Amino acid sequence: MNSKSEGRMQKAESGHPSFFKATLAIIQKDLAAEFRSFELISAMLVFSLLVIIIFNFALELDVKVRESVTSGVLWTTFAFAGTLGLNRSMSVEKDRGCMDGLLLAPVDRSVIYFGKAISNLIFMLIVEAIVLPVYSLLYNVNLFRLDLVGVILLGSIGYAAVGTLLSTMSAQTRTREVLLPILLFPVAMPVLLSSVKASGGLLIGAEFAEILAPLNLLIVYDIIFVAIAFMVFDYVVEE
Amino acid sequence: MLETTPDTSGYMIAGYVFAFVVMGIYVFSLYLRNANLKRDAETLESLQAEQDAKAKKK
Amino acid sequence: MQKRPILLSILDAASIIVLAVSTYLALVFAPTEAVMGQVQRVFYFHIGTAWVGLLGFVIAAVAGIAYLITKNTRWDRFEVAAVEVSTVFFFITIVLGSIWARPAWNTWWTWDPRLTTAAITELIYIAYFMLRQGIEDPEKRARFGAVYTLLGGISAPITFMVIRLFRTIHPVIIGSANANQEKMSMTGDMKVAFFFGLFAFTVIFIDLIWHRIRLGSLEEKVEQLKLKVSM
Repeated sequence: MNSKSEGRMQKAESGHPSFFKATLAIIQKDLAAEFRSFELISAMLVFSLLVIIIFNFALELDVKVRESVTSGVLWTTFAFAGTLGLNRSMSVEKDRGCMDGLLLAPVDRSVIYFGKAISNLIFMLIVEAIVLPVYSLLYNVNLFRLDLVGVILLGSIGYAAVGTLLSTMSAQTRTREVLLPILLFPVAMPVLLSSVKASGGLLIGAEFAEILAPLNLLIVYDIIFVAIAFMVFDYVVEE
Repeated sequence: MLETTPDTSGYMIAGYVFAFVVMGIYVFSLYLRNANLKRDAETLESLQAEQDAKAKKK
Repeated sequence: MQKRPILLSILDAASIIVLAVSTYLALVFAPTEAVMGQVQRVFYFHIGTAWVGLLGFVIAAVAGIAYLITKNTRWDRFEVAAVEVSTVFFFITIVLGSIWARPAWNTWWTWDPRLTTAAITELIYIAYFMLRQGIEDPEKRARFGAVYTLLGGISAPITFMVIRLFRTIHPVIIGSANANQEKMSMTGDMKVAFFFGLFAFTVIFIDLIWHRIRLGSLEEKVEQLKLKVSM
């Protein structure tokens, strides 16, 4: 570990950016680009609201059923909107040729991964932060709870972590964006299912043990998959 | 309380037929793909030989 | 194309034999189960194919890692073979599960953890093939395939654990709601059929994978020939 930090310091001295600084730079780039046009967030947001409206008619959310079904509806919405964001984020990178530029930069490839993943996560969180109050209003369900926000955060982390890796792959295939949900959903099942179970448990006031179990699995998944993505990202970007 | 065992042999037959059919289809597909590839290889090899012959003539 | 090795021919014969024996054990030798009747016999093949599907799943993930480390295409061929054969067998598992469920619990599908995880795993396999299909460069195809089997291989067990936490809200079906998870008490003869089934399908699995790997080598050879000829 010592030699690595030494290496990093040497890099910093020779003008190469540190891991942290480089990651931050990528995040800033993505955020700045997005806040100029808002095309990504607005697309995700409108899509989410439409999905919620459709669910209203698809599921007959009467007051009793609402509480048990809310977490499912929310996470389905987040999953679909998340896919939209992940796809767009990666295709923009490719279209503008930024990806090639990033790959040429004198930074560890994993910097690109972390930068993109965190940007994607931020976009998801922004959309979720807007969807939650809207859903609360539309369905008279109180979603303003810190513990719920916590679960949503953990779930989004897992989803963005795997999603960023997979969107990097799908962007390089012939079918591009179409492939991402097909690749992502089966592999992200643990995130979606445990998030639904945990947030559902919170909303209906289940015992703590019932919420802890899926929460544990969610955290385990997050840790494992961030680690895997970190190790494997090199194999997934173009040479 | 003595229940008679229901006759579910129809389902059993369906299950086994299905399993054998699917396995059979897969084995057949392996055979078919193998045959096609062998033919392709032979065609390509003879093409290759022609090309080599032409190159030699030059 | 290399001549078929003798060992493979022996394995072919062995596979047919064990399949026949296993079928006999399952259909004739094992006693009829009292509650469900004859349909319970599909259980022997259901478990056999499930075991093989699972085996292939793990093998694929390991082969994927091996490929990423060694870059040797042998591992890629092994991985593709494992996924392909497993896809076929898991498909049988799922359908047999459904056929068993219908008369036993009056439903075409039970959302029990094992069956559901099998279905999700099957979708991972299918996604795997769609991924590979969409990539022209064989080296990239191998790399991406390996990464995906790794991701799939680790997520599926976690999926299984999570699904177990869901208590089903589906209406209680005839028999107990946990019927699928009830341990079937097996008599001695049933156990014979059961374990032999596992053994038989393992033999068949190895045989088919070997054939598929050979097919993969042939595919590679043809691709290389195509490149040479077009130059």
